[in-house]
Amino acid sequence: MAGAHVAGARPVTGEPATDWRDEIPRRALVEAGLETTVPLPPGDRPLVGPGTAVMPGDLLLEHVRDPRVDEVDVRLPEGERPLAGGRWAPVPGRRRHADRTADGELLVPVPGKATRWRLVTGDHRAPTTSAVSGIVTEVRPGAMIRLRVAGLALRGTLAAGATSRGRLELATDPFGELRPGGIDVGRTGSILVVGSRIDAEALTRARAMGVRGIIVAAIAGKDLRDFQASERRQRAALHMPEPFGVLALDGALRRPIATPVAALLERLAGHEVALLVNPPALVFDGSAIDLPEVGPDWVRVRSGPNLGAEGRVLEPAGLWRFAGGVHLEAARVQLDGEPSPVVLPLCDLERFG
Amino acid sequence: MSTPSRVLATVDSGTATAAVSLIGRAGGRHRLLGSTAGPVGTPVEALLERVRRRVAGADPDLAQALGIGLPGSAADVPRLASRTAPPPQLAAIAVTERALRPLAAVAETAGWQVRALVVQGADILKLATSLADGRVDAILAGASEPPAADERHLVAELGNLVAAATERRPDLVTVLAGGLATPGGRTESLFREGRPGATVLAPSPTDADGEPLRAILDGLRGGGDDGRRALAVAAGSLATVLRRRIEVVEIGLAGGSRTLASWRPGDRASVRTGSVARAALLPRSFTDEILDEIIRWLPIPLDRLRTRDRLREMAACPWGDAAGDGAVLRLAAARAAAARLLARTPAMDGLPAADIVIASGGAWQAAPAPATALALADVVRRPGARALGLDHARALAPLGTLEDEDARLRLMADLFDDLLVPLGTVVQVAGLRPPRSVGTLVVRGSGDPMEVELQPGGIDLIDVPPGERATAEFRFRDPVDVGTRTKRVDLGVTGGLGGLIVDLRDIPMRLPDRLEPRRELLAGWQAPTWPGLGQ
Repeated sequence: MAGAHVAGARPVTGEPATDWRDEIPRRALVEAGLETTVPLPPGDRPLVGPGTAVMPGDLLLEHVRDPRVDEVDVRLPEGERPLAGGRWAPVPGRRRHADRTADGELLVPVPGKATRWRLVTGDHRAPTTSAVSGIVTEVRPGAMIRLRVAGLALRGTLAAGATSRGRLELATDPFGELRPGGIDVGRTGSILVVGSRIDAEALTRARAMGVRGIIVAAIAGKDLRDFQASERRQRAALHMPEPFGVLALDGALRRPIATPVAALLERLAGHEVALLVNPPALVFDGSAIDLPEVGPDWVRVRSGPNLGAEGRVLEPAGLWRFAGGVHLEAARVQLDGEPSPVVLPLCDLERFG
Repeated sequence: MSTPSRVLATVDSGTATAAVSLIGRAGGRHRLLGSTAGPVGTPVEALLERVRRRVAGADPDLAQALGIGLPGSAADVPRLASRTAPPPQLAAIAVTERALRPLAAVAETAGWQVRALVVQGADILKLATSLADGRVDAILAGASEPPAADERHLVAELGNLVAAATERRPDLVTVLAGGLATPGGRTESLFREGRPGATVLAPSPTDADGEPLRAILDGLRGGGDDGRRALAVAAGSLATVLRRRIEVVEIGLAGGSRTLASWRPGDRASVRTGSVARAALLPRSFTDEILDEIIRWLPIPLDRLRTRDRLREMAACPWGDAAGDGAVLRLAAARAAAARLLARTPAMDGLPAADIVIASGGAWQAAPAPATALALADVVRRPGARALGLDHARALAPLGTLEDEDARLRLMADLFDDLLVPLGTVVQVAGLRPPRSVGTLVVRGSGDPMEVELQPGGIDLIDVPPGERATAEFRFRDPVDVGTRTKRVDLGVTGGLGGLIVDLRDIPMRLPDRLEPRRELLAGWQAPTWPGLGQ
């Protein structure tokens, strides 16, 4: 049977197999062994291979900034066949006029011509370095380099810009919002934690001031699109800008940074961290700090009308009828600052662990 | 599992939520004991324990008799499990736009997220980069059979591009269709022998309406417990058991599917299905066009930026914000997704209309039943009468994984009453002449007859409770289309939580272009189905 599974090994104990709080969606505060990818489009030359250990600042690849396609004659010894993705360089001293080209990557054969290939090459090449330490697990020419990251990672929901590295600094409290005027050159080289929200103007100013990254609870869609458009223009410029990334921890609607996450970021203040874009995450050396402890009944409202509120879950409330006549599983929660418990849908809650 | 046991569980793991149910044998037949759902990642054992707790609370003797009386005991019952994964990505490539269109259309209904590429006039570097992209799981390359005059000079280029992509990624599954699929032909010979990825030769997308190619592509994705394929199997069994034509409109977070299953005496059910990634509640490539489609169905005042942000939140936490405005927004997204699903499966519109339309998938679950019934009526628009149902426990797909057809039919025969929540019956009429009254309707059920004046352009919700049968006697002033062209028709209707929906709106639906009038119109139609909408 395709989908059947008989779980026969576990004895019936008479005790609850699970804690009812397992029904509340759980979010890992940190995770180990994160995998990240670095784009490796055709033409870019990998400088690492599977199994290579890399440290922050180590070269990963050589990026061709102005890729173009040339045609070259590829002559190999009898019995050998050129492969797409392979590297090609002109034979020294035997350059003919037609092959006066730089080295590059074999792209695709020219139809109807046995030895003629298209080659991706370019004149402007820039080294790309690693922002994290880890092990290269896979190199796919024309596609990507995959790295298993050393250290711990705090996951976000989305990221924009480029993977970067810097010293973590707290610019506001978890509820705050950073205005453009609040960013100056004193923040150069840092990754700023800016609280609940940031707009596109503050993001572009931060980039201009040499800030390497922003960590924020939420970023509105409009600000994200404006920033991405600005980032594209920057990348198209002749001089490569310093890498700058934005990491949204939760989503698009305004809310404070979750207390356990804020406690973690406070402990990381002053430490070197990396901001990854794919997947969206903050990576740090787990041995440098003690992780904050989170109580098993501590919950945060992840969505819905009480967005961002936190408190302690008391007991299950069963199936409950909510606005619009919608029936949802619920729990009684004592929110911080509220005089009495409220009933909230389980699916609107999250707990850390 | 060849013979269903005394008690079993079904588990449908989607991309956003997981639904579980417990099925037990009571009174000589299998019954659905209870069901629940939770965000994906919630341990299945925790969800099963929630159902077990309720069953034991409601009927301790039955729970004891079935061996699920003790806490934790439901974790050990046999399970039927189906799983729906995010759609993999397929690069469909052809020489010309004309050759690509049928290829991409077939691939779109086979559960793949399609990246369409044309060789003619394209930048060769961009094409090669797209094909080598690590997110691409398979390549479908095709040409007309035989290649047309405008394709011939670039067919070799197409073959070289695809072969080069497999040299970079030897594990890439490659499907050659139509004019490229000659066994031992020039294109196939370009591929390196012994590479780990398969090279599949497939028929042209124009053969038999594209169904053979669609079946091949569908078989290349998902595992043996794929939820959408299993749902199609279950729809076939249900059609056989009910002896009815059934249409299942399934919408999930990462994709949707449409299945038409027809019963034929003395034969297996005929099943036609299409699985469409673009029919996801929130497709991975979320464009302004999709945002507009959702806003088109919103009856509440949410501005465009706010709607986009709410939908981004929904994508990040698809199980959250399921009540109030969040539920209305979700159902608007479900309507838009179902409309995309129907638009991408036009071949099924030519088949005989279904007697029963079933809503399935997580997108339909968090709304009052009458609102779901109206949402189905909004998008599935065909003259005639049909019953509406909801796969509320999401147990159909797991039951479809039961390989023994006889056992599956027996189980379905026991369970069909429990599997579907009756949403009611919808009657849709075409060919009305506005604006005057077009006739009358008398509904005769168990109570007093109810008479309704029929006004074109609107809907009437008539209370016919679940389990009740009634006769709807339509008397029109002029001939209209109610599946057949007539002035007088008496229809047997079955009740449901949404009752009888008499839908005299346009077929296809036409809504005002201007925001405010459209919102008012939608709110007017939906208000009776949402308690407290807009409060």
